[in-house]
Amino acid sequence: MQQQQPAPKPKKKVKVTRTVNGIEQEVEIEVDADTGPGWGPNDKHTLLNHPMTRVDGPLKVSGVARYTHDMRLPGMLYGRFLRCPHGHARVQSIDTSAAEKIPGVAAVIQAPLTELRFAGAPVAAVAAKTPEIAADAVRAIVVKYEVLPHVVHARAAIAPNAPKVVQDEKEANLQSKATRGDLSKTEAAFATADVIVEEEYISARVHHACLETHGMVVDYSGGDTATVYASTQGTFTIPKDAAAALELPETAVTAIVQHMGGGFGSKFGIGVEGMLACKLSKQTKTPVKLMLTRHDEFVMAGNRSGSWQKLKGGVKNDGTLVAVQARQYRLGGIGQGSQAGQPYVYRAGESYREIFALHTNEDSSIAMRAPGHPQASFAMESLMDELAHKIKMDPVAFRKKNLADPVYHRQLDRGAKAIGWERRNPIAGGNPGPFKRGMGCAIGTWGGGGNNQCKVDVTITRDGAVTVAVGTQDLGTGTRTFTRAIVAEEFGLQINDVKEEIGNSKLGGANSSGGSTTAASLSPSVKDAAYKARMMFAEKVGPLLDAKPDEITFAGGKVNGKGKSITWKQACAALPAAGITAHGEWRSDLQATGIHGASFAEVEVDVETGLIKPIKMVHVQDGGLPLNRLTLESQINGGMIQSLGMALWEGRVMDADLGMQLNPGFGDYKLPGSLEIPEMIPIIDDDDKREQVIGIAEGCIIPALGAVVNAVFNACGIRVRELPITPDKILMGLMNNQNVA
Amino acid sequence: MTKSRNGKEKQQSHDASRRKFLKGVGIAGAGAAVVDKLWVEAAAKEPQTASAKSLSGNVKLLLDVNGKKSSVEVEPRTTLLNTLRNHLEPAVTGPKLVCDAGTCGGCTVLLDGKPAYSCLVLAVDATNKKITTVEGLGTPENLNAVQTAFVEHDALMCGFCTPGFVTTISAYLKKHPNPSLAEVREACKGNFCRCGTYPRVFEAALAAAKSRKV
Repeated sequence: MQQQQPAPKPKKKVKVTRTVNGIEQEVEIEVDADTGPGWGPNDKHTLLNHPMTRVDGPLKVSGVARYTHDMRLPGMLYGRFLRCPHGHARVQSIDTSAAEKIPGVAAVIQAPLTELRFAGAPVAAVAAKTPEIAADAVRAIVVKYEVLPHVVHARAAIAPNAPKVVQDEKEANLQSKATRGDLSKTEAAFATADVIVEEEYISARVHHACLETHGMVVDYSGGDTATVYASTQGTFTIPKDAAAALELPETAVTAIVQHMGGGFGSKFGIGVEGMLACKLSKQTKTPVKLMLTRHDEFVMAGNRSGSWQKLKGGVKNDGTLVAVQARQYRLGGIGQGSQAGQPYVYRAGESYREIFALHTNEDSSIAMRAPGHPQASFAMESLMDELAHKIKMDPVAFRKKNLADPVYHRQLDRGAKAIGWERRNPIAGGNPGPFKRGMGCAIGTWGGGGNNQCKVDVTITRDGAVTVAVGTQDLGTGTRTFTRAIVAEEFGLQINDVKEEIGNSKLGGANSSGGSTTAASLSPSVKDAAYKARMMFAEKVGPLLDAKPDEITFAGGKVNGKGKSITWKQACAALPAAGITAHGEWRSDLQATGIHGASFAEVEVDVETGLIKPIKMVHVQDGGLPLNRLTLESQINGGMIQSLGMALWEGRVMDADLGMQLNPGFGDYKLPGSLEIPEMIPIIDDDDKREQVIGIAEGCIIPALGAVVNAVFNACGIRVRELPITPDKILMGLMNNQNVA
Repeated sequence: MTKSRNGKEKQQSHDASRRKFLKGVGIAGAGAAVVDKLWVEAAAKEPQTASAKSLSGNVKLLLDVNGKKSSVEVEPRTTLLNTLRNHLEPAVTGPKLVCDAGTCGGCTVLLDGKPAYSCLVLAVDATNKKITTVEGLGTPENLNAVQTAFVEHDALMCGFCTPGFVTTISAYLKKHPNPSLAEVREACKGNFCRCGTYPRVFEAALAAAKSRKV
């Protein structure tokens, strides 16, 4: 549909702080002339930048919060998958007749693909009256496979005559994706180095392990419309594809996401599970719930790509990093994987890198909290630590010498103080006794800026009710809470005086929650709507106080003007019968991009058993205006813990012969648990004075694993270059390294 | 035993009680093969108390859930968790289905006051017990001390593990009103959180204990 373009709005110029090449500076940007004021100084807020308990907390702690997985509709069927048991196979035939005859089975359908390139690929889906009957039906399906050669380990996949993972026979499993830098200049720079370290670093593929598995509940019973309850990070990524699978117009489908049980980058779009759920529902004209089983989730719902990085670094004895060369393999299964380029955040005299995708017969990696960054940070921070050790320089001082951005300097100093860096023994493995403690550090970066997608409405009615509505979703990041708080603060109200409506694709548009973009995309639109609602409100209420709109102030549940004061309820009674509604759009001046984080870790290594016990972790994180200090600190803790998992415990294990994952469950894939959590110190870097909102979720997962790996080395003198650092690797290192004290 | 996250940790008594529930489902869905074998051997040594009567088809059960007796008809193989979530009217969905294998604690309920993984208990084995779910511990308007502390200390993010943690800790504090941090960690070792709320779960548990209202 053609829409008439509105006349361009008059503009004005405002100054905002921006991080350009790691340096904070004032830049001038253009905004609409009727744009409201900024957030104001970070220390002048009444609700924002304070600790606020989350508004959906009481619902979640009492089991009342209704997640997609909790939906139960009348007559609803339960869906389940049959997965391919082979690393690579072609479906020759499927016999579903026995499955269809089982009482209670309503439908059996085939998945679209006939060539399956990883074990776990969906082959068929069933819908039945109970999940138990659905499982029976899956077992009763008879599939004849033509089993094809597979390869699931990276080293084997680049061997001569390795089975072809890629579809095109002419292509290789190893594919060059990008190069950067000048190879000959880098080689020349190495000639000027006093010390060179050349090593390989490997990180395992790890799993999102969202506690709520992927899936949907499709409420369709024939007819013209459908409602889809989805466990998703993008409410608006659902209707179009669900509609296509249901053969309905896009506008006929409403997506609902009230609460969701973890995404971490893995839940965008309807996925193959959503598509098959829709098809089962369409065929049976009955609501269908299809949530993946935990086993499904491990083998087909995505993962963080592994990495294999060959790094070479050269330094002068004074600590100057003169050259870095990197050959980086992204291990993304049949997918592309991701990996930030080396030398990551460090300033090297010269650098050269080549990045490859290395394919294996595993399900495609997908985005996971800071895609590609923890892998790159781990390898580069390991290399930096090895270089510092060789030239006998303190790791913090060595990093500062090779970092241009002063923000890292202050964060490293702050983190060092918080962990007690002065207690660190500079001699690796130098502490006496079998329980050896050590410390390490690392840094990371992320964007975290927003985009122009959120459309927010703030409505105030005569009875004093305030509602803020937008279709966005709350992943557990506290979106509901800050959305309310921004509006409440604008009107001098308490947070519970405002109600939010979110998670519905029929509300105002919103971006997907990926790349830490939600806070910086949503909060400016909420602020814009709240400010405009305030102006409208002031205009209506002004006559009551004999005041002009700009003389009206709001504080403590009172509306004030010209020395007079009335209560919020009295003021609202003066509103028109329909109340007022203001519409807010995104304002780029209310958000920024570019964040920094520094992590420190202290661990204790038992050199008799190889067990590693995390003792203490610190993470310093900037992020402009902290919307909610309580939930922000929780996210920093969470980032550290997930990073710790990557360092010490988590990793997919594949069987070379069977081509299957050997640890597709929480009994064998080891998540961080309550016994292993160290003392944790999340630090919000309030020296960041930017009066703008920036997302931090990704930033705080990046550096901690490098800090842990370096702490292990400092503790016991063993440098483990392949994650996770399981006890066998420590013991093997100790056996081969007789120099350790 | 899957809950032993650290070689140094010894099995605690409440693990043993959870192990008994495994008998009901044998080795189905119980994690690594070696562990299964140990369980089966341990179970075989214990006297069998359940009746040997075999059940098939649909069976009608009377369940006492959060003080309310409800009749429900399920296949005998249906877990208590799936019965609560998929069959009971109205549905009781506080306990979450996360792993369906007794490894994560998301489905924790209380059976006669003792925590149990409801994905490892058959509904037919729960008929003569008082079943308490997180919904039975408090409501949004009237939270119990643990639930209140969870909100105040932000011991939750996505919240999917939260009912399990709240249930586990509420039961633990009833028996151990003044725990140390180490004891709280021990009490929670059968529950996983992926968002990484552990530090604040510990804080909340200790704060709830201190409130003396559990």
